[in-house]
Amino acid sequence: MSVNERETRASSLPDPFVPIRRSLRERIGRPKVSVVLSVVWLLIVIAWAIIPQAFTPLDPIAGNAAQAQQPPSLEHLFGTDATGRDMFTRVVYGSINSLSGALIAVSVGFVIGTAIGVIAGSSRRILDDILMRIVDVFLAIPSLLLSLSIIILLGFGTAQAAIAVGFTSVAAFARLSRSEVVRVRGSDYVEAAFASGGRFPVVLWRHVLPNSLTAVLALAALQFGTAVLSISTLGFLGYGAPPPTPEWGLMIAEGRNYIATAWWLTTLPGAVVVLVVLAANRVSAAIAAKGRIS
Amino acid sequence: MPSPRRLIAGLATATVLALALAGCSANASTPGSGSSSETGKPVTGGSLVYLEHQAITGLYPPGAGFYPNGGIVNNIADRLVYQDPKTLEFEPWIATKWESNADATEYTFTIRDGVTFSDGTPLDAAVVAKNFDLYGLGDAARGLTVSEAINNYQSSEVVDKNTVKFHFSAPSPGFLQATSTINSGLLSSKTLDLPFEKFGPGNAANIIGSGPFTVDNEKIGTGLDLVARKDYKWAPKSWSNQGRPYLDKIQITVTPEASVRVGALLSGQAGLIRDVEAQDEKQVTDAGFQVYAAQTNGVNNGLSLRFRNEKLSDIRVRQALIAGIDREELVKTIYTKNYPLATSVLSKTALGYVDTKDAFAYDPKKAATLLDEAGWKLGSNGIREKDGQPLTLVVNEAAPQPRSFDALTLVSQQLKKIGVDLQILKADAGTYAKAIQDANQVQIYHSMVGRADLDVIKSQFYSKNRNTLLNRDNADQSIGDPKLEELLQAVASTADPKARIEASQTVQKYLADQAYVIPFFEEPQVFATANFVHGFSSESVGRPSFDAVWVDKQ
Repeated sequence: MSVNERETRASSLPDPFVPIRRSLRERIGRPKVSVVLSVVWLLIVIAWAIIPQAFTPLDPIAGNAAQAQQPPSLEHLFGTDATGRDMFTRVVYGSINSLSGALIAVSVGFVIGTAIGVIAGSSRRILDDILMRIVDVFLAIPSLLLSLSIIILLGFGTAQAAIAVGFTSVAAFARLSRSEVVRVRGSDYVEAAFASGGRFPVVLWRHVLPNSLTAVLALAALQFGTAVLSISTLGFLGYGAPPPTPEWGLMIAEGRNYIATAWWLTTLPGAVVVLVVLAANRVSAAIAAKGRIS
Repeated sequence: MPSPRRLIAGLATATVLALALAGCSANASTPGSGSSSETGKPVTGGSLVYLEHQAITGLYPPGAGFYPNGGIVNNIADRLVYQDPKTLEFEPWIATKWESNADATEYTFTIRDGVTFSDGTPLDAAVVAKNFDLYGLGDAARGLTVSEAINNYQSSEVVDKNTVKFHFSAPSPGFLQATSTINSGLLSSKTLDLPFEKFGPGNAANIIGSGPFTVDNEKIGTGLDLVARKDYKWAPKSWSNQGRPYLDKIQITVTPEASVRVGALLSGQAGLIRDVEAQDEKQVTDAGFQVYAAQTNGVNNGLSLRFRNEKLSDIRVRQALIAGIDREELVKTIYTKNYPLATSVLSKTALGYVDTKDAFAYDPKKAATLLDEAGWKLGSNGIREKDGQPLTLVVNEAAPQPRSFDALTLVSQQLKKIGVDLQILKADAGTYAKAIQDANQVQIYHSMVGRADLDVIKSQFYSKNRNTLLNRDNADQSIGDPKLEELLQAVASTADPKARIEASQTVQKYLADQAYVIPFFEEPQVFATANFVHGFSSESVGRPSFDAVWVDKQ
């Protein structure tokens, strides 16, 4: 009677005419502890970004000088900085900068990169060559150098840093999506679609694009973690949000002169960045291993 | 692109390494053996590693006020007279005696025999005259500026091989002290013919003086070596070392990160470091190392309010800013006892100091009232507004000053409470240099200047010197407050010593009354030495002197 029993029966006796529809739970399988922890951690950080005031009653910018440079305690989970600002509050309020920045960066890379890849992969003529050589050039430049060059042109700031980081992943997205498109385009159903009179853009949109996106989506999840790290790097170097904005990379940079006297100023924000990146990588690895979830 | 697995592995390794390193430095801070007492016979020979905060920008003496430059010039160039850093009295150095006329428009110096530059040429009256002709008049064609220490200079006159006379167009009572500063470091005739660029980074070894050290092995932006002159024997009488410098070599390495400097000192990699930040002092003394906080005896570290900006042109706004800043909390939170709270625009140890601390009292209620009266009403976001314009002001981060950024962050938190939005300008060198010259971009300027003479106040505020208030507008060259100019002129050009002190005090009071400045603290230059380093001292504004330094570890 239960859904499970019915499905077990169905899978033991496959009906060739009814497509097998497994539940979401079945498709994910038994979740690993590390994946669950990663997802929970990412959800917490996303909640920090959306409703920071639910996690801390304090102001990330106004400090209390009487409580400057206090080590972590129950009152100040991550301690306080040189001017008495609560570090936990700053980390919580800082998550919006890092997460929205990473989202912009991944979107830029995903949209532009996939567009280039699909056009190159489906045209397979001189256009393909031109686009791929441009991508080669992008791949040849170290990504940090590339993002620094772009940010010098765009000016400093959170959004600018995000766009600069996004551009560095355009090449990776373009390469991957092109190879997928080339694979899908040679398949029988695409040939069939063309043979039955489908026009090029329609076939591209209806058949090629959806079927080549899986791998690209996994890459997007992976890029999210990398983007958080890159944006923090730019923030650390002073190219991101201007102070006193609580940005993770900037906080680590500001705390580095206190590494011997107030370890919590760099260590704890640094640990948060490391955990977010690790969690995002773990989740993307899980997605890649399981294929499509939705 | 690195694979995700490798990326994670790399990250984990980096984290573990960082933690291990942090552990190492904690271990290294256990107290070393021995004390830093100055007993024992000085040892000749050996070398010292000196970690400097910033790289040199140029060694043209009048422009060498920047500490990394001054630290070099102080050791490679001698001066006519020597100013004792403690008593601020003068004694012979290259000049054996000197005299001036009653209204300080004529100075005569007798030059010591037998002094040579490091290139072998003799230091005589003619080359001294050539030095001061350049420093006193500048050379616009070569881009060489007039020294801010020398006022009203007219001409020199070589009387004989050992006598030189200087003439001034108006009284120049500060000239004797000026000859003792690093801005008047004596250079060889050939060096004085160089254009501005040749004084810059990469050419330090070509700057020839007669001092106890010469420059060698310069690496641009990274550091240089000071090598002892074995034939140096014309030190001022009061120096403990009358012969050649004890050390053979001082290796100066630029180390911008404060935590790295302290770590290197504590682990024994460096013998001397400059700019020990306030938060690290305890760590250094706890480890049994010596901290030297040499006072700079000049204009205090503080803010200049650029009154020609529209928002700051109202004295009530300026007074409100002063009343809104809790200087005591600032000094207590960010600094240590080596940074005494300022009580005037000048340091207590500066010549001509007068107490004006009542003008800088903290009173947030008064600040709010003043801003209300000036028409700045509290907006919905907590920031005051007038005619739709928010009360947003920009202050520069003064990178050479100790903990400038932390201090300004705290000030901005304090000002937020009275509804003022203070932004801190943090920018690349080019953007920064341009912005600080424009009162519309930077309304509040954070700086200080050290010099042990009454003229120091003129150096900071006079329109043709540092012009920190931007009293002279850079766009149209107009002067906003002619009275201030007149008062500053009087400090530099009054011959009577008593009247000159009064003139300086008038300026200090005027600056306080007009609410042009907010002094924070009396700035020290904080050095720290390892236990094996002895005999370290600094000149009258805290620049290091290496002549008598010796080490007993090899």
